[in-house]
Amino acid sequence: MKEYILLMISAALVNNVILARFLGLCSFMGVTTRIDTAVGMGLATTFVITVSSMADWGVETYLLQPFGLGYLRTVTFILVIAAAVQFTEMTVKKVSPPLFQMLGIYLPLITTNCAVLGVALLLVEGKMSFISSTLFAFASSIGYSLVMVMFAGLRERLALADVPRLFAGPPIGFIVASLLALAFMGFSGMSAN
Amino acid sequence: MDETLDASPDYGAPALVEGFAHVVAVEGGTAWLEPEQTTSCGGCASASACGAKGIGTLADRLEARRFSLPNRDGLRVGERVVVGVSEKALVKASLTAYAIPLAGMLFSGAMAQWVAGSDLITMAAMFGGLALGLVGARLNAKRLNARGELSPHYLRRADVVITCHF
Repeated sequence: MKEYILLMISAALVNNVILARFLGLCSFMGVTTRIDTAVGMGLATTFVITVSSMADWGVETYLLQPFGLGYLRTVTFILVIAAAVQFTEMTVKKVSPPLFQMLGIYLPLITTNCAVLGVALLLVEGKMSFISSTLFAFASSIGYSLVMVMFAGLRERLALADVPRLFAGPPIGFIVASLLALAFMGFSGMSAN
Repeated sequence: MDETLDASPDYGAPALVEGFAHVVAVEGGTAWLEPEQTTSCGGCASASACGAKGIGTLADRLEARRFSLPNRDGLRVGERVVVGVSEKALVKASLTAYAIPLAGMLFSGAMAQWVAGSDLITMAAMFGGLALGLVGARLNAKRLNARGELSPHYLRRADVVITCHF
């Protein structure tokens, strides 16, 4: 039990997908102008990362490794991720059309989000059991969502602050993101590995 | 008269997220609206560039998101309007659509792992949990929709010059 908790904390905070591994930065800068869009995007990405990581683990264990098809890994994973995004879109549409109207805008953005492919490749590298892989993927995506929401809160405040004209908007956003990454470095040393 | 501008906005007040839509059809007292593409990063536009034409195009996606509103203001086809959705609605919708199925999936996976240690059983249990979670999400979405929290509300006609750049 303790090892699972350590694994999750390590994946979410210590080796944070955005601030430590620098994946998924375009959605990080793109949807964090408001907190509610950051929450929507974070939750959608969490769902897609978890589901696609489960599928990727299955594909890796039962298809790629037994037949020695490691060189097809990147292509196969991208295919699985795209299928997972389509599955999510179809599911949300079926579960509730009004929900789809509200949330449908985020889903195509997740297909090209490198954080999804990055997490899948990382968990394959870790060679963990199914439940550990799933928890790792879930915790990574929770860390992603957490940082997105934090940064959205910061950017909402920045929009009202007295920023020099040349720095207003993305430039000060990048500077704040790097300060946030520095702050998250304080977690290093708590890693499970 | 001592008029000082109140520069501190009230963060506690429930805000409306505004978006633009244009009218595509009017049927009696109902207007059908299609949302405009608003994301500044162009991600949705590029998604249409790589897919097969006619299936995953941007126009297709926007068409799938058509919604109807009671036509109180005498709207005509082609007009541009501002619609609003309550801020909390997006968070509630996201939690319903994603958090409930995820919770079901992870909980059943954890239970299966605890009871039987096999990978395949855990995988099967997770799919079952996902299905149950989706049923739960559907029920909650029905409840939210019945309360009108998921639909956009008509606010006003849009000025021609104002565009949406976030």
